[in-house]
Amino acid sequence: MSLHDTCVHCKLPIPPADLVIDEIDGKELHFCCRGCQGVYRIITGAGLGNFYKRRDWTEQGMPAGVFEAEFDDKVLASHVTTHNETTSEISLVVEGIRCASCIWLLEKLLSKEPGVEAMQVNYATHRAQVRFNPQETSPAQIFAAISRLGYQPHPFTAGAAQQAAAREQRSLLIRFGTAAFLSLQLMGFSFALYGGYFHGIDPTVRQMIQYFAAAVTTPVIFYSGWPFLRGAWRSLKNRAPSMDLLIAMGVLTAYSYSLYALITGGEVYFDTAAMIITLILLGRLFEGSARHRSISGIDKLLQLAPDTANLIIAEEVRTITSASLTPGDLILVRPGERIPVDCQIRDGLAELDESTITGEPLPVLRIQGESVSAGTLNLSASIRLIVERVATESFIARMAQLVEDAQNRKAPIQSLADRIASIFVPLVTLIALGTWVFWFFNNASSAEALLNAVSVLIVACPCALGLATPTAVLVASGNASTRGILFRGGDILEMAGRVDLVAFDKTGTLTLGKPTVEQIIPAPGLSEDEILRLASRVESGSSHPIARSIRARANLAGIHTGVDESVETVPGCGLRMFDSKGEVLVGSRNFLSENGVVVPPVSAGALTEVYVSLNGVWQGVFLIHDPLRDEANQAVTRLQHAGLQTVLLTGDRPEVAKQVSTVLAITNYHASLSPADKAAWIVARQQSGQKVMMVGDGINDAPALSSADVGCAMAGGTDIALETSDLVLTKPNLDRLCEAIFIARKTLQVVKQNLFWAFAYNFVTIPLAASGKLAPVWAAVAMASSSILVVSNSLRLGRLIRRSFPVAKRPTNN
Amino acid sequence: MFKSIVILIVLSLCIGTGAWLFFIWTVKRGDFDDVEGPKYRMLDEDDLPEEQKHQLKGKTHEK
Repeated sequence: MSLHDTCVHCKLPIPPADLVIDEIDGKELHFCCRGCQGVYRIITGAGLGNFYKRRDWTEQGMPAGVFEAEFDDKVLASHVTTHNETTSEISLVVEGIRCASCIWLLEKLLSKEPGVEAMQVNYATHRAQVRFNPQETSPAQIFAAISRLGYQPHPFTAGAAQQAAAREQRSLLIRFGTAAFLSLQLMGFSFALYGGYFHGIDPTVRQMIQYFAAAVTTPVIFYSGWPFLRGAWRSLKNRAPSMDLLIAMGVLTAYSYSLYALITGGEVYFDTAAMIITLILLGRLFEGSARHRSISGIDKLLQLAPDTANLIIAEEVRTITSASLTPGDLILVRPGERIPVDCQIRDGLAELDESTITGEPLPVLRIQGESVSAGTLNLSASIRLIVERVATESFIARMAQLVEDAQNRKAPIQSLADRIASIFVPLVTLIALGTWVFWFFNNASSAEALLNAVSVLIVACPCALGLATPTAVLVASGNASTRGILFRGGDILEMAGRVDLVAFDKTGTLTLGKPTVEQIIPAPGLSEDEILRLASRVESGSSHPIARSIRARANLAGIHTGVDESVETVPGCGLRMFDSKGEVLVGSRNFLSENGVVVPPVSAGALTEVYVSLNGVWQGVFLIHDPLRDEANQAVTRLQHAGLQTVLLTGDRPEVAKQVSTVLAITNYHASLSPADKAAWIVARQQSGQKVMMVGDGINDAPALSSADVGCAMAGGTDIALETSDLVLTKPNLDRLCEAIFIARKTLQVVKQNLFWAFAYNFVTIPLAASGKLAPVWAAVAMASSSILVVSNSLRLGRLIRRSFPVAKRPTNN
Repeated sequence: MFKSIVILIVLSLCIGTGAWLFFIWTVKRGDFDDVEGPKYRMLDEDDLPEEQKHQLKGKTHEK
């Protein structure tokens, strides 16, 4: 391919008919359309030509036709916060951001816009905050400036729940920071005290240091440790002993005993209490940020349904908010606009991009009488629709509700440590009580009896037990995230380690979701090149993925054609062109048959067929195929070697499902399933005792993803899929899935080892303490060593993962 | 001896508190909300000191 085949701006192949040649800075540049040329001029004109050097695009941009939407100040006004006369702020979500340079470009260009004071785009959530002077510019102008660059802005106001989550994460960070700072100080004091214990220390100095230690520990317990204390109180009220209760009990015992010792002149254990809290907070912080990173998806999804609609009353079009639409209203949706609510088509037909809903990349033809979903994009023609449901009951909203319900149902998965705590807490309390009773009635003084009871509580302090799970989870999720694997939490890691059945969706998961021409079968006497030339000419004007795949094949074969004649699109069927040779038809079998072309039977198997005819004579057929991912075969084999069953769940035709599962040696397949069928199938497997992981990418997989024990989505799928899943692979590569399962299994193993050691330690020391043979300071030493054992065992997990799956030197950025 | 230990401890606490307050300030300012961005942004801010100032100002007012 020569350099000229792709557009300088958008990098897409240039349809020969649309080639635009421009001379900028003495260089001849080729564009695919006037729009790209315009954007290129805006960008280089602003001195930001560097954009083209630094960008790193791997996905396609927004579909054509999106940018015709207009922005209205009146509608946007509700999203603006006014600080004073000359400063206002608006929050928005920018659709179409593909890499860091897009953000760079947006920030640079927008800040050059008159009246815009600052624009800051969040790299993770694609949310932007724009500060502007309302006297010099307006929200609509800002939105227009963004969309001129080829991005689609949506106004955005964070929901109360999201704001609360952000606040929560921030307060957790402050709690941890405070605990870490104070523990650091405390460590210095403890060091002096330990030194003093073994080598002698002046009693006044010792007491003073102890007072300082008490002073720095108190805020750690009652401020930083507040979430645990609250959790413990809740679990007491509910009579369901939890990990929080165990932590709170250990911490409070160590703390109050130390206070008592401070007054009576014994040894203090403030450091134990503070360390437990600091380390466990660190674990929660990491867990929280992994959760937070993947949660932003649902915002973007719900922003897809536009805020405004064009209501038709007596042939007059009026713009109103989507929320005020009621069933029966007649609305107009122009090409490039998204459908605001669930509707039925009244007049006209159009091709819709439903990929946000289904995950299927091909546009779908919708005709009069058919129902269409909110959030889908109209690609071809103006249509009139009758509103079927109000905005809050639209398909997207209901799907989100379904997902939320499923997640709520799943929430009370008890982690292993919680289950242990429910036995351990009452047991320890009982033993401590028994110790006190025993010593009190067997001649010991009441102080000594109390001391022995407290000793039991201190050695039973769940330091190692509390650290067993969080440290392993911390190490595993940290190592996993550098490999592009995000676990939503410790329970997911645990669950993924127990999975024994993996269910796959087909399109976009096992396949690439990008169709290519697999085979060309010309009619007898014709060459491949001839029909390729014919078809690529007809398809040159279309942005349909199938047209694109035929053009790509033509480019590869070195065929570059131009169209001078008009091409007529018959939506959903094909294309018709008249040229010097006559009438050319390209399209489905039915389309050609209806036009009187005799088409011989072709065994396409699982492939999509595109037929070509010239003047009513069949010329040949293209077999188009959505290829499997390169690594799919190997990944499935690896999963099976790991003792996992595999199954294919797809909404596609049975022939396709059969072919895919045969090629990949997948144990079983189920075809023609609806979203609810997929979920039901998974629930049925679960009831028979299996632990199921679902891997999918579309909104139609969302219910299945959330009913599965572990839902896994790959980046590049729809946002709702990412939102629903417990496990996110940030690089669309199935090898990561195998790594994720390996990591989860190893983690489970390490957690079990840790718990074993923590218990073995308690098993030995509790009887010693109860019999009064263990001086509290030795209990502390034993406790520290058991913690070190557990922590280093967890660190070993990191080395194990790194050895098994070395990270590529420079992770690619997508 | 006793006095100097007290002075040193109090001094270290003061310095630590300063660092802690600085940390709280940065969290409230939203510096940890987007930990992904700065690694790209630091390479971008080369020739535009004017806008840099604006951007820094813009960050202070987040909920």
